[in-house]
Amino acid sequence: MAYARLAKENTVPVRILEGQKTLISRTMHSMEYDAVRDELVVNSPLVQSILTFKGGSNGEVPPVRVIQGPKTQIQGTDYDGNDKMAIDPVNGEIFIGSATSAGPGKGVVLVFDRMANGDVAPKRILGGPKTQFDFPTPKGQGFPHMTVDPVRNLLIVSTRGGLLIFDRAASGDVSPKRVIKGPKTLLTAGNGGGLIKVYSPNGMIVSSCTEGSICAWHIDDVGDVAPRFKIPVQKLTGVNFSGPTLNPLHKEVIVTSSSRNVIATFYWPEIFETP
Amino acid sequence: MRAPGKRRKATLAVLIASAMGFFCWALIEPPELSVRQSAGYPQLVSVKQLPDFADLCEWPSEDKSSITRLEETRQFELQQASVYAQNGTATTVDVTRPPVRTIRDTYPIYSSVAVDPNFDEVILQDNNLWATAIFKRTDNTPPNVPFTEPQRLIKGAETDIQFNNGLYVDPKIGEIYSIESDTGDKIVMFSHDSIGNVAPVRHLETPHRGYGIAVDEERQEMFVSVEYPPQVAVYRKQASGKEEPLRVLMGDNTGLHAIHGIAVDSKNKLLYINNWGNFSNFRVPGSGKFNPPSITVYPIDAKGDAAPIRKIQGPKTQMNWPAAMALNPDTQDLYVANDVGNSILVFKATDQGDVAPTRVIKGEKTALSNPTGVSLDMKNREFWVANLGNSSATAYPLMASGNVAPARIIRSAPLGYKSTKFGKTEAVAYDTKREEYLVPN
Repeated sequence: MAYARLAKENTVPVRILEGQKTLISRTMHSMEYDAVRDELVVNSPLVQSILTFKGGSNGEVPPVRVIQGPKTQIQGTDYDGNDKMAIDPVNGEIFIGSATSAGPGKGVVLVFDRMANGDVAPKRILGGPKTQFDFPTPKGQGFPHMTVDPVRNLLIVSTRGGLLIFDRAASGDVSPKRVIKGPKTLLTAGNGGGLIKVYSPNGMIVSSCTEGSICAWHIDDVGDVAPRFKIPVQKLTGVNFSGPTLNPLHKEVIVTSSSRNVIATFYWPEIFETP
Repeated sequence: MRAPGKRRKATLAVLIASAMGFFCWALIEPPELSVRQSAGYPQLVSVKQLPDFADLCEWPSEDKSSITRLEETRQFELQQASVYAQNGTATTVDVTRPPVRTIRDTYPIYSSVAVDPNFDEVILQDNNLWATAIFKRTDNTPPNVPFTEPQRLIKGAETDIQFNNGLYVDPKIGEIYSIESDTGDKIVMFSHDSIGNVAPVRHLETPHRGYGIAVDEERQEMFVSVEYPPQVAVYRKQASGKEEPLRVLMGDNTGLHAIHGIAVDSKNKLLYINNWGNFSNFRVPGSGKFNPPSITVYPIDAKGDAAPIRKIQGPKTQMNWPAAMALNPDTQDLYVANDVGNSILVFKATDQGDVAPTRVIKGEKTALSNPTGVSLDMKNREFWVANLGNSSATAYPLMASGNVAPARIIRSAPLGYKSTKFGKTEAVAYDTKREEYLVPN
C-alpha cells in the first residue's frame, strides 16, 4: 500500500498492490524502492521468491521479474519464511537472507543481479563461521536486515546484538571488516527484527535499538561504542517501533510499528547533516 | 465605518491570531538549563525543532481520538522534561522531538464475523485496535449516523487479543472463539457475557499463522486452518493450553497452499479448505511455486499427507485471495468471502474443477469492501459479511444474488469511509519519485 508522504490518521492509501496476479503473500518484513530504476522490490517469503514491480504499480498487476526456483537456493523456515531482503540500487544487486539445509545458525546471504529473472543462481553467497552469521534461530526466526553503502562499498548485516560490516562484494566464508557490538551500542538481541538503513553521504547508520528506540551509529564505529543519536520512540509515543527508512530530501526518518499498525515520521536533521 | 458585526468578526480574528501565535510561541522551548560537564570540544547539546508545518498549529480538531490527544499531550510533556546529552563521557544525544506525522487507522478493521442467532448478536473481530465487538443482530446504522456502538467490547491487555482473524461462536452457550494469526499464536475463548478488559476463560496455543476456525459440533472437534506451513490442525473443541491436536492434515500431497478459509460438513463428513496457491516446502530450497487459488475437499477425518478428493480451481471460479468460508448444510451452498474480488462467491459443495459460482454477490449496491469474513444465520435466513475495507459488517438474505443492497449494515466508521487496511505494518520503504510511503502488510 502506498500513502502520501503527508498522510495522517485515517488516510486512504493512494495505491494498493493486491490480488492473485501480484504473487505477493504475507510475512513481507522488508521492501525496497529502487530510485535509480523506479522499481519496487519485495520478497514473497512463503514462496521462496523475489518480486520486482514497476514503480507506481497499482491494483492487481503482475511483477515484471520473479526470482524463483531450485537454482536460486532460496530457503525459508516454518516460522519466518525468508522474510527480509535489501537492494543496492547503485550496483544493481538484491540481497536476501536464506536458511540452509545445515540447520539453525547456518544461514547465508544470497546476492542476485537485479535483472535476474526466473530460476537463476545467486551471483555470490556470503556465509560460514567466519561471517559470524547466527540465523535462523531454532524457532526459525532472526533473518538479518541488510543495507549497502555504495559510497564506501560496504555491506551491513544485522545480527543479534550487533552490526556486521563487510566489503560490499564479500563472498564465501569471510570475516567482517568491522563489528559494532556490545552493551554500549544499545543493540539488542532482537535487533534482527529492525530495518537498517545507511545514509551514504556521511555514513550514518540508523536502526532500532534498546527500549523501543531508534539509534544512529557511524559506519566507521567499531566494537562496543555508544550510538551517536537516539530517539526514544516508545517513551515518546507509547508504541514500540521497529525499523526505520530514510527520506533525505526532507531530513525525515520514518519508523513502523509491527505491533500497533502505526507509521510515524520524525524530523531528524542530525542524521543527514552530521559531517 | 464598519458594521458592528464586522467589527466583532475583526476583533475575533485578532484574538484568534494572537492565540495561535502564543500557542506556536509556547511550543518553542527555552534553552536547556541542565548543568553539563565541559568536554573541551564542541558538542551538540540540544536538538529541538517544531513539528513539520503540515501539522503545526492547525485548528483543534474534534475528530481526534482520545488516544491521539493523550499521546500528543504525553509527547510534549516528555519533550519538556527530556535530557539531551548525558553527563560524563557518554556521547549519545537523545532527540526527543515528537513525530511530525503519524499514519494510523483510528477505526476498527473487521477481519471476521460470527452471527449468533441464539442470542441475536453479531460478533466482529477488529485486528486493528485489537478488540472483539458484539452488536445486536438487528442493528442497522442509519446513513446520517457516524457509527453504531457495540453492545459489548472485549478489549485490553488482559484479553490477549492481537492480530486476530478468525471467529467462531458456540451455537448453544454463545462462547466466543477468536484465533490470532501472527504475534500471539493462540485461540482465546470468552464466555458469552464477557465485556471489557477481561482474561479469556481459556486459551489454546496454535501454530504460527492460524487463520480460521470451524467446529464439528457432532464430534466436538475444532478445526484450525494454518496458512504456512499449510496445515489443518484438529483439536478437541474444549482443548486448552498446550494440548496437542488430535490429528494434523499436512504435506505436499494435500494440495494445501497458503490456506485461509475453512468449513466442515458434519452431515456428509467433509472438510473444505480454500487456498491462495502460494506454495513452498520450507525444508527444500527453491521449491516455491505459484498455483491458482482453489478450494480443496477432504474427508472430515483426513490426516497426514492425504490428497484432496475434489478440487475447485480455475479462472471461472473468480477466486481472488479467498478468505473465510461457510457452508449451508441444508442446500449444500458453500459461501466464500472473496477479498480482492470484492464479492461473495457461492459454490455447490459438490462442485469440481473449473466451475463458475452458482451465485455471486457483487456490485456497487452491495457495500462490499474487501470482504474477509462470512457467517450464516440459518434461523433468520441471512448471511453476514465482515468488510475489511470500510469498517463495516453487512447482512443479506441467505439466497441473495447479484448486485443487491444489504438488508442491514453495521458501520463503525462514517458512511463512505475507507480503511487504511493495515494488517501488520512491519516495514516501510520510501518512494522518492512519488513522495510516498510503501507499506507491506
